[in-house]
Amino acid sequence: MIVWVLYDIEEDKARTKIAKACKQAGLYRVQYSVFLGTLTTNEKDSLTLQIKGLMDEDRDKVYIFPMSKDELRQTELLGQAFDKKLVTDEIKALFY
Amino acid sequence: MQLHINTYGAYVHVKDQMFEIRVPDEKKTAKSHLAAHKVKSIIMATGTALSTDAIKLAMMHNVDILFIEQYGKPIGRVWHSKLGSTTKIRKAQLVASMNVTGVKWVKEWVLTKVDNQIQFIKDLRKHRKQHHEFMDEKIGQIENLYLSIQELQGEVVSDIADTLRGLEGTSGRLYFETLSKLLAKEYQFAGRSSRPAQNPFNAFLNYAYGMLYGKVERTLILAGLDPYLGFLHRDDYNQLSFVFDFIEPYRIYAETVVFRLFSAKKVNQGHTDKITKGYSLNQEGKQLLVTAFNDYTEEATIRYRGRNQTRSNAMLMDARTFANSLIAPVVENTIK
Repeated sequence: MIVWVLYDIEEDKARTKIAKACKQAGLYRVQYSVFLGTLTTNEKDSLTLQIKGLMDEDRDKVYIFPMSKDELRQTELLGQAFDKKLVTDEIKALFY
Repeated sequence: MQLHINTYGAYVHVKDQMFEIRVPDEKKTAKSHLAAHKVKSIIMATGTALSTDAIKLAMMHNVDILFIEQYGKPIGRVWHSKLGSTTKIRKAQLVASMNVTGVKWVKEWVLTKVDNQIQFIKDLRKHRKQHHEFMDEKIGQIENLYLSIQELQGEVVSDIADTLRGLEGTSGRLYFETLSKLLAKEYQFAGRSSRPAQNPFNAFLNYAYGMLYGKVERTLILAGLDPYLGFLHRDDYNQLSFVFDFIEPYRIYAETVVFRLFSAKKVNQGHTDKITKGYSLNQEGKQLLVTAFNDYTEEATIRYRGRNQTRSNAMLMDARTFANSLIAPVVENTIK
């Protein structure tokens, strides 16, 4: 499934760690505190637990939204937006 | 996904358990991070660097690292040291290479290749009325070669090897002559050429065969077969190579992709560079070809054994069928 992770984390250290956890899970950073990518249900669950352990539940806010491919297709992207194909794992080759 | 590292000086290493790719630029170095489990293979061209930690991370996640030379030909790979399957298969493969079973399979692979050539030309014939006479003549000639190959008899592969290679070569010549004739004037070519290719078509085809070679080698390892225990075909060091035997029925994938790119006028002068004595595929050309080749082999599906499969999967199933037939020779198996 396609997963959005959005957060507001006060402490720098925790924020850095959560960002790293998102990247390691295979999400792409589409905005400073927004990550997006394709995960399996298990991957989403373990990322949720990981973030829960890192954040301060009294002060911070984290949203983890699933989205269907259909809904992503209807999403409007303006300006310097991310690549829809990249976040849905449709890109099979990257060149460097 | 596949990571193609082509830029001179690019460096792949590990950062926070992820692959980090550094590409040096005039001003600053661009860095990208990729989660290890999203990567399926890393293809490194010459002039790039890789750290041992990156190799370790790749091995842990079953990522295939392939080293290729300029024209796309694989020169080596890093793969975890476990066998794909039971050793029984390799022993049986060795036995088969020395008896009549080898003859049967070698003939079958070459016949499939020649049949693919015939079918491809027939397919192209449908929309090319002006070339009917020429194409019919070539189809007839190749069909005769097909029959000659079918009739070859021998106890071991070496009995028929020379004749088989000759017939196979002639068929290939006729086939490429036909393909060339159907291309736009500026892209026609006089036969196969490599190191370097004498024209853009061959530059594309060599690179596509290189990718296919890497894919076949991987498939054979996964199926528990030995890529270097060949029956008929020899590699550049004049050693028998099983990859070159098993690749035959699938060469059509590379040819179809390349021919379609040319006939659909997707290729232009900007995709190849003129080098000393020939042509070479540049970064743009590689991107065009790799994307088209991946779509054809990993995305598009064909009906295969009653299911919709990608061509890559079908190839792996073929390899497994072959391996299983070696250790259980009673069951009758065919390639298609």
